[in-house]
Amino acid sequence: MNCLEFAEKLQLTPLCEKEKNIEIEGVYIGDLLSIVMSKAKKNYAWITIQTHINIVAIAELLELACIIVVENMEVDIDTLNKAKELKIPVFKTSESAYQMACRMSDLGIK
Amino acid sequence: MKEISMHILDIVMNSIKADASQVEINIEDSIKNNWLKITIADNGRGMSEDVINRVTNPFYTTRTTRKVGLGIPMLKEACERCNGYLKIESQIGVGTKVFCYFERDNIDRAPLGSMGQTIMAIINSGNNFELIYTHKTDSGEFVFDTREVKKMLEGIDINDAGVLLWIKEYINENVDIVLAGKI
Repeated sequence: MNCLEFAEKLQLTPLCEKEKNIEIEGVYIGDLLSIVMSKAKKNYAWITIQTHINIVAIAELLELACIIVVENMEVDIDTLNKAKELKIPVFKTSESAYQMACRMSDLGIK
Repeated sequence: MKEISMHILDIVMNSIKADASQVEINIEDSIKNNWLKITIADNGRGMSEDVINRVTNPFYTTRTTRKVGLGIPMLKEACERCNGYLKIESQIGVGTKVFCYFERDNIDRAPLGSMGQTIMAIINSGNNFELIYTHKTDSGEFVFDTREVKKMLEGIDINDAGVLLWIKEYINENVDIVLAGKI
């Protein structure tokens, strides 16, 4: 399933342009960036509560499919501007990381 | 990073890459003032005002192999996460000072980690610099200086495996003592 399809199905709020529509190959959940950097893989969706511009750097570095900010955390404007520039999709939801993961699993993303 | 000492290692590696011949690590761990202050000062080639303003941005790096650099940005974020801050002072040809402040009892503050292991890794990364590490608490202070160690070693290489392991143990023991308030 690609980013846009599942974002629509899960009713995630898109925070930045949906120009890159990548097939999601896996999911990683984590908030400690150094660990995410070593564990997440290319084309993974990343679920986090972090909102700092550093998350865009991680997504760019690892070529992640998208970033999903959970718990309705306010995303910094610098983060969104950079994500737009690099065409990295960022979504937001009021759900928790666990709820998000369950729903993604239900949709067949394992 | 799970421990602050990993950040220290990362920043000191920047100093060494900037051709520093002397690096000072200063840790001030105060329960009384509820702060953990870390200063890393080097006499490397230094940075211009313009570069200082850009290094906290993850999309700035001197590395040519990839376009993001997360060392300083992640440390800055770690400080800010616990009501602290990161400040950089630098002068071209003189050196750079990175100053970090953490609220000590903040729940999001990572533990310091093993300084013995960190200092050992730093020393092991080269042999053309001196390292002075000071660890201060409310009750005392511990200082480790590679210049003094080298004098004591009387010609034995400081990068010798046995010496490095001794340094690791020696630092861990002394940091424990200074943290327990026995000095």
